[in-house]
Amino acid sequence: MSKGGKGFLSKIKDALSEAVYGIALHGQVSAIKRMKMYTEYLFMLMTVGDMLGIPLVPPYYTLRLLPYMVPNIKSWKLRMLRERDVTDIITG
Amino acid sequence: MVLDTPALYILLGLIVYSIAYLYYSKYVDRNIWQSDPTRPTPAKLYFDGVEYFPVSKYVLYGYQFKSVAALGPIVGPMIAVHFYGWLPALLWLIIGNFFIGWVQDYSAMMMSVRREGRSMGPIVYELLGGRARVILLTYLVFYLIIIGAVFAWVIISIINGVPGVFIPIIVILITGYIFGHMVFRLKMSVVTATLVALILVFAGIIIVTAVQSLRIPPTNFLDPGLIGTQPASWTVLFWLIVLGVIYYLAATTPMIRWLLPTVYVAYLPAIIALAIVIIAALLSFITGVKIDPTRQAFVGGAYFDPIKYPTTGPLWPMLFVTIACGAISGWHSLISTGLSSKQLEFETDARPVGGGAMITEGIVGLSSVAAIMVVAAAAPPPAGAPVPLDYPRGAAALVNALIPLGVDNWLFFYAIFVTIMGLITSMLFVRVFRMVAAELFPTPFNHYLVSPLIWIALISFLAWLGSWTNLWLYFGGTNQLLAGLALMLVAVFLASQKRPTWYVFWPGAFMIVTTLSAILWETYVYASHLMQGKYLAPQAPVVDKFGATLVNITNLFSAVFGIILFILGLVMAYYLFSGYFKYRGQSSQS
Repeated sequence: MSKGGKGFLSKIKDALSEAVYGIALHGQVSAIKRMKMYTEYLFMLMTVGDMLGIPLVPPYYTLRLLPYMVPNIKSWKLRMLRERDVTDIITG
Repeated sequence: MVLDTPALYILLGLIVYSIAYLYYSKYVDRNIWQSDPTRPTPAKLYFDGVEYFPVSKYVLYGYQFKSVAALGPIVGPMIAVHFYGWLPALLWLIIGNFFIGWVQDYSAMMMSVRREGRSMGPIVYELLGGRARVILLTYLVFYLIIIGAVFAWVIISIINGVPGVFIPIIVILITGYIFGHMVFRLKMSVVTATLVALILVFAGIIIVTAVQSLRIPPTNFLDPGLIGTQPASWTVLFWLIVLGVIYYLAATTPMIRWLLPTVYVAYLPAIIALAIVIIAALLSFITGVKIDPTRQAFVGGAYFDPIKYPTTGPLWPMLFVTIACGAISGWHSLISTGLSSKQLEFETDARPVGGGAMITEGIVGLSSVAAIMVVAAAAPPPAGAPVPLDYPRGAAALVNALIPLGVDNWLFFYAIFVTIMGLITSMLFVRVFRMVAAELFPTPFNHYLVSPLIWIALISFLAWLGSWTNLWLYFGGTNQLLAGLALMLVAVFLASQKRPTWYVFWPGAFMIVTTLSAILWETYVYASHLMQGKYLAPQAPVVDKFGATLVNITNLFSAVFGIILFILGLVMAYYLFSGYFKYRGQSSQS
């Protein structure tokens, strides 16, 4: 084994297993994550859409849900305001 | 003698590809793009854990390879070897990939990385305007229809030609659903579910291979007396309806429930099959599998008479569109700028991911040439047409010499492999068509239950009544033109950044000129047949069954198709060239 790191064979094994994961599962995992994200973003649009200038009166529950949404707000805003088209979703 | 086996030629290809990767790509990466591992990538800048997050280069390499490699690098070389000989096919695969293929995949990825991980559409919009983007999407619609029709024909001719293949295919499709159910509903571990899926898939393959009585339905079971798979036959129509049902389900059911698990299940045996055939080709000098005497190094290239040679054309430009994937493919630019560019951990990973995956696809193309070299042509070239079964037959001959399980068994295995690769790719295409239709089509044609029907109807019409080799040339034309446009887009981007553009500008210009010429030639083939009241040789069964009028309508449809593609391509090329010279002018003034 090389000093302070993995041996050559171990590195090859890791690289191969990662490549097989990439071939077999990465696209699938990404698609599932995206599906979950779109559902969450739709919910955020309905509840805190006023943050993007959509004229809706925030319901009482928005305040109670806000702490759960805070981690996603930045990426949600970025994604909602970003230029997107079909070529963005072509890969699944 | 080594020279009469495919081994040396494939080895030569591997050496040139190694030089491309180790030297040329490194030169471009360091000197033109000046990739910097310390510069934050979109994955780090816009980290959201969903779409933007850093992923290991090995995972992304696997994902990129899976997304770009399908039937393309198998079917293209098969047709090219038949009409032009194995030497031109081999040279284009090697030289094309060296100077153009990996260049496009890698450069499109780097352009996206430097543009916040944006995809092709938004980059086109940013650099060239909204009209250029609409043209790009319209082009995509035609591309998806043509490729769907060609793949449908290839799938059907193999299912029909090798009885029993459809049964393991059905097993794989059902196993895909079961796998999805096990993982997402029953919450089973992926490893257990994979093992169950693999047992089911291989049980399906082995049982049908072993039990001859299960090899049903027989060839042309609805058209007794017919030899080979022919257009306008009832058997082909039957299989088109079956495929239509599968495609419709794939387009309208949730992806995670069926389509994606099926892709996963199907790719496992496919990767094994591909790896074995490459090894078998390299070891053919030991196993003694020789180049078949009917496969000449050079068959011909002066097919200037469209009536005499309707299913091919002059070496330039037609060879360069006949072999698309493996040498260069426009589809890859969409993949490179899709998910991969958003998940690169370091800029320096673009070379192994984008360039490496394309070079690997080139190796698949080389293996396909090797498989075709060793099998006798069903009908002598160039007058006879190639048949999709040539690849499974050649792969079986190569592999059986290495692992002698019986040529018939290997033929069955490779027929399944080709069919499932075509099927799952088409299932993904119909979904993409659905998304493009949602953006471009008016109501109610943009509805997700309606647009897949349009796609299925169009591809069925073309596959049933058309000529698949001619459709393939249209596909090659659209695909390669997309590549040329992507390369020019990169040139526009580099010009806007005041960087050297020669390494993308000249390949891009070559591809645009070549592919526009190829589309024009193919349009001329259809138009000349139409005007002279003749039909293409593969359309003879359609004339016998339905009369010449229907063939004329099909040819008119195809000629109009070609004209639209040519005009769209020309307008897009105009936008790109004018954009390029505008930015070059700006940089020279400053």
